[in-house]
Amino acid sequence: MNIEAFQNRVLPVKNKLFRFALRFLNNEEEAKDVVQEVFIRVWNGREQMNEVQNWEAWCMRITKNLSLDRIRSMTRKQTQSIEDTFDVKNESLTPHESTEADESMQRINQLISGLPEKQRQIIHLRDVEGYSYNEICDILQLDMNQVKVNLFRARNAVREKLIKINAYGL
Amino acid sequence: MDSERINELLNKYWNCETSLEEEQYLREYFKAGPIADEHKDAAPLFQYFGEHKKKSLPEETFDDRIVNLVSRKKSKVVQWTQSYMRIAAGIAVLLAATWFIQTEMSKTKSAEVQDTYEDPKLAFEETKKALMMISRGFGKAEQEAKKINLFNEAREEIQKPDNDTTNL
Repeated sequence: MNIEAFQNRVLPVKNKLFRFALRFLNNEEEAKDVVQEVFIRVWNGREQMNEVQNWEAWCMRITKNLSLDRIRSMTRKQTQSIEDTFDVKNESLTPHESTEADESMQRINQLISGLPEKQRQIIHLRDVEGYSYNEICDILQLDMNQVKVNLFRARNAVREKLIKINAYGL
Repeated sequence: MDSERINELLNKYWNCETSLEEEQYLREYFKAGPIADEHKDAAPLFQYFGEHKKKSLPEETFDDRIVNLVSRKKSKVVQWTQSYMRIAAGIAVLLAATWFIQTEMSKTKSAEVQDTYEDPKLAFEETKKALMMISRGFGKAEQEAKKINLFNEAREEIQKPDNDTTNL
């Protein structure tokens, strides 16, 4: 693959990778660094790309792995308690966005941030990025059943909370 | 939009039975509005999905940075040509060296050839002179060697009785 093909075929997925990395890291700069590293790896391993069935899923998988590595090294460096990291997750909206977004959007954000890791990843891949179940299996290296069960749980957890919010204003 | 259809799709959505197209249809509905009261519960969720999809990296600067980073790392083709160029340069140096040495050697040979005499008589005279010099040298050396021989004979004479006594 030459640089033009790389630019035209691979680079356009950057925003999907960025949003996926952001899901894990909740920090735009860190997410940007991860995406940059993913592209360098993809370029270095471009000979393998012909063997990979779905290279976009392959890129997403690298993004996930690098993001998790980064979280691990970050927690090692900072020795933060789990509660602190959860606080960071809830503040994932920038000040500008929080003034713009209305209250219910912030609530949804908190709701989704509070979901278990796997459910959060799956609901993001399906409902934000619009990946098929097969692609999600490929990206997260899970079987179809696990993907569907986790998506069902995630959607229903959100639904229950939404009903509560609307009924009691909680 | 048909409210019944949305109800049906939402039910399918919560049960994870919607297709990607149907989910897209729902997102469009909640994005475009107007939203029926009965669907307002779900609205923030779909709006949240839509908002999240808007997050993106700066278009030009990011692409340029990646292309710069990537092209700085040499491609394999460049690496191969570079190593082949190195080998070719090595061979070129070797060839130049052999050519240089050969020409130098042929130069020294031709110098010897130039030194020889053109005239065979003169050459014969010179050779005779040289041989005579060697011959004179040999003659002189022989005379001197004879003196050394005298000493050797004398020493042998002296050593003889010694050998006799040791034999006894």
